[in-house]
Amino acid sequence: MTDIECTTCEPSRGISRRTVLRGMAIGAAVAGVSSALGPIGTRVAWAATPGYTGDTLVVLSLRGGFDAMSAIVPAADPDYYRLRPSIAIPAARTLPIDSRFGLHPSLAPLIPLANAGQLGFVHAVGLPAPNRSHFDAMDQLEQAAPGSTLRTGWLDRMLALHDPTGPFGAVQMGSTTMPYSLAGPFPALGMDSLEGFRLHAAWDAASTTRWSNALTALHTGAGAQLQGSATGTLSALATTSALASDANASAVTYPDSNLGRALSDAGRLIRGNRGARVITIDEGDWDMHAGMGTVDGGWMVDHLTDLGAALAAFAADLGSRIANVTLLTITEFGRRASENESQGLDHGWGSAMMLLGGGVVPGVHGSWPGLTDAALNDGDLAVTTDYRAVLADVLTNRCGASTSEVANVLPGFTGATLGVTRARA
Amino acid sequence: MAVSTAVTPVVRTVTQQVVVTYKYSARTHVTTVTRSRKRRVKARFVGTTIYLLNAAGHWVRIPYIWSARKAALVYDRRLHLALIAAAKPKPKPKPTPPAPGADPSPGYVSQDPARHLLRRATYGSTPALLEEVARLGIAGWVDRQLNPGAINDSACEAVLARLPDQAEPIWQVHDLLDRDERSGWDQLRGVMTAHVARAAWSERQLLAVMEDFWGNHFNVTTPGAEVPSSRAHYAYTIRTHAFGKFADLLRAVTLHPAMLTYLNNRTSSDVHPNENHGRELLELHTVGVDAGYGEQGVLNSARILTGLSVSWDSGEYLYAPWRHWVGSVSVMGFSHSNTTKAGGEAVAIAYINHLARQPETAHRIAVKLARHFVSDTPPTSLVDALASTYLAHDTAIAPVLRQLFTSTEFSASIGMKTRRPYEELIATVRTLGLGAEKGTGVESIEALIWMAGDAGQPPLGWPFPTGHPDVAAAWLSTASTLARWNNTMNLVANWWPTTFTRPDLRQHLTHGVTPATCGAAVDMVCLRLFGRTLTPAHRAAVLAFLDEDADAPITENTGVLTWYLEQLVALLLNSPYHLTR
Repeated sequence: MTDIECTTCEPSRGISRRTVLRGMAIGAAVAGVSSALGPIGTRVAWAATPGYTGDTLVVLSLRGGFDAMSAIVPAADPDYYRLRPSIAIPAARTLPIDSRFGLHPSLAPLIPLANAGQLGFVHAVGLPAPNRSHFDAMDQLEQAAPGSTLRTGWLDRMLALHDPTGPFGAVQMGSTTMPYSLAGPFPALGMDSLEGFRLHAAWDAASTTRWSNALTALHTGAGAQLQGSATGTLSALATTSALASDANASAVTYPDSNLGRALSDAGRLIRGNRGARVITIDEGDWDMHAGMGTVDGGWMVDHLTDLGAALAAFAADLGSRIANVTLLTITEFGRRASENESQGLDHGWGSAMMLLGGGVVPGVHGSWPGLTDAALNDGDLAVTTDYRAVLADVLTNRCGASTSEVANVLPGFTGATLGVTRARA
Repeated sequence: MAVSTAVTPVVRTVTQQVVVTYKYSARTHVTTVTRSRKRRVKARFVGTTIYLLNAAGHWVRIPYIWSARKAALVYDRRLHLALIAAAKPKPKPKPTPPAPGADPSPGYVSQDPARHLLRRATYGSTPALLEEVARLGIAGWVDRQLNPGAINDSACEAVLARLPDQAEPIWQVHDLLDRDERSGWDQLRGVMTAHVARAAWSERQLLAVMEDFWGNHFNVTTPGAEVPSSRAHYAYTIRTHAFGKFADLLRAVTLHPAMLTYLNNRTSSDVHPNENHGRELLELHTVGVDAGYGEQGVLNSARILTGLSVSWDSGEYLYAPWRHWVGSVSVMGFSHSNTTKAGGEAVAIAYINHLARQPETAHRIAVKLARHFVSDTPPTSLVDALASTYLAHDTAIAPVLRQLFTSTEFSASIGMKTRRPYEELIATVRTLGLGAEKGTGVESIEALIWMAGDAGQPPLGWPFPTGHPDVAAAWLSTASTLARWNNTMNLVANWWPTTFTRPDLRQHLTHGVTPATCGAAVDMVCLRLFGRTLTPAHRAAVLAFLDEDADAPITENTGVLTWYLEQLVALLLNSPYHLTR
């Protein structure tokens, strides 16, 4: 396995555009009738039940391969400093979580959340077997059904446990390009932003009404489904327009970044009570092969600063509503334990997940395998926790899924739950 | 299968075990001949299909297959049933009317047969195409399209010349990528861009449609990992076989590095046969999931394909005998002793040829073609007729398409299909008369890839081997609908991309004529866009949108043909008048 497999990368750094294209392939339109989708639909072997009563699950995908060891630093592990002579985060600069780990100083806004018991981490987590190709690893991660021929994502299967109740049950926020995790028959909605989810042709309220009336009239006489798609879209537009209005603005200031804007809109959607069960957000550009910077500044510092501030703002914005929200981060792979010649990190295996919410058990979960030569897997942080154990834990404790429902969402997974979340009250 | 599997007919004198009594299992489709007599006959082999001379001196198909073990022609009941079904006299085609599909809106489109044909067989009609159909007739026009080499396509080719050559050998692309002289991303983007350019501007419209059809039937998700070196050549391969024999297309695709990579057969081996390709070859590419091959069939299929691989060195197709699984195989009526590693490739090719000629494959291809061109729920009468033609012409596609477009079922299906987002987008480009940007760039064309993706249907980008769904119900989500509406306005108003070459919108729609009233102006625009005017209720709604009375005179201050024209056109193109195919 070579270090860099970016045969399809753009010459410039970063994965974001490629990710978008890959995601684009999933289509914003994977809705509709299961029989229309052929094999996709054949997996609907269990009955959907109405009335989802679990948390709003926010899945934040850190695209490109998130270097967990720069964020949740193994500050007590001497091998970490041996392997990363120029980019390691000095122990003295980290914000201690426990005797083994400290947060990167750029994540300082998260410390109050950790102290409030709303933030947890799982370290050395990832795919059950290494896969260092962005495309393949993302697909595997989000299909979450290794060895099966299922053509759906795990979130779609989770959503399909209950009937759809409106257009906002599953929303990809920040981009119209859907993640594989949402691929499947459950209707999901992708939007760049609440404000941007609008008819570009209409320039003011009167014009919007005019368009709405004319489109409704012109679709009257069409087949029922086509007519319904037009009226349903116009109704969703009215909703997002209301959610995006100043009346719905948050008192909290989010960072002015893609992530900040997406989380701010997620906050509006949750506060607006529109039945959001799943919100997905893609945050790209973690593919730091070269020049990632040091603790004092650079690519990684910029990204962690944004991440910390955005998550802290989201928690503040939700206020007491955080009791019914669980956010988790996920990434296709971690990065090499040792730095390369370019002050960067190539594709690796084990990474970390962060969990934020009212039902999160704080602390660093999972078993730390260490970074000795013998402990490394082909030069990578070994995975000691299958990421599906985290998903199963959240599905069970926070999303009301029974054991058999978890087995439907994560077929083939038989591991134990982790205890990273508490059961809903 | 000792007989040559080349598709060139071979006439040989062989032994025929003429059946006297037999047993047949409808479940396993296995025929056991209990009594037979031998005779020597002159037989014509076309691949695995066998013909004997009848009394009238014609070669006719017989329900016998070649048995290598018995070195003779042996009776096969299953084939017999298929031949009977295919040969059933259909004196008067009694077309079942197209069932109301998922959601047709037949009241929206012009009933003109020429426009109907062009809505289905192209990405959108143009005045030039309408003239052509009027001149050649429907059958004549289809025949011309079925011979794409004879159609001058220089304008489109000039656009394509801005992109990497798709016919470039794989090893050469592989080498350029290896040496970082070309990026994999550019290579894949070129494939998508060329696909879109052909749809929008090729004069060989039916070829462009079929290239998309087969591209989805044999989907290799683009962009995708590890196929940059072979993906362009894969598209080229599909294009060159699009109207030929399905058996040839299937063989070319199954042995292509892009497919062997996409479905993991390149790393399959005798020790660990990877079932992905073996399964999809049956389920998606040929006989279909209900054909009854079972998991044992999948395993046998995967075993047969072991050894079909790709050279890591060149990226080209490679048969790797050392990976081939040896031993007797049997699936879907194909069986072979498969005794040597060296002989594995020939076994695989014989298997592919066998699958292409199965009645189940004929039926499946017929259903998919009829679903694409006729109705989401195609009439059985048409499907059966197309399947018979497919088998009777030894899997040739052109006669099937010719029959389809001249069938009564086709002409009765006006308004029964809905354009998918990508089809709708390209139809908008064509109806507005947009052209690729000046110079040598392709950014305007690439923008269409993104727009189609926003609407949920990125060209060649369906994430699964199944290809884009071909029924209306799959494409009616809120996100897709809004993206379509916005794409239309962007294109009409030249908001993004801004680099297309385009005619003046008013001139394009009115030819310089100024109608007397606002109502007449709406009628004129609709006639140009759709070949018909709106229903009275819809016309009233459009005039309300314009805030004009039908009989209000057109003056210098009227917005209809000036500052409000873009809004009007975008509204009309966002209606079922344009969305109905």
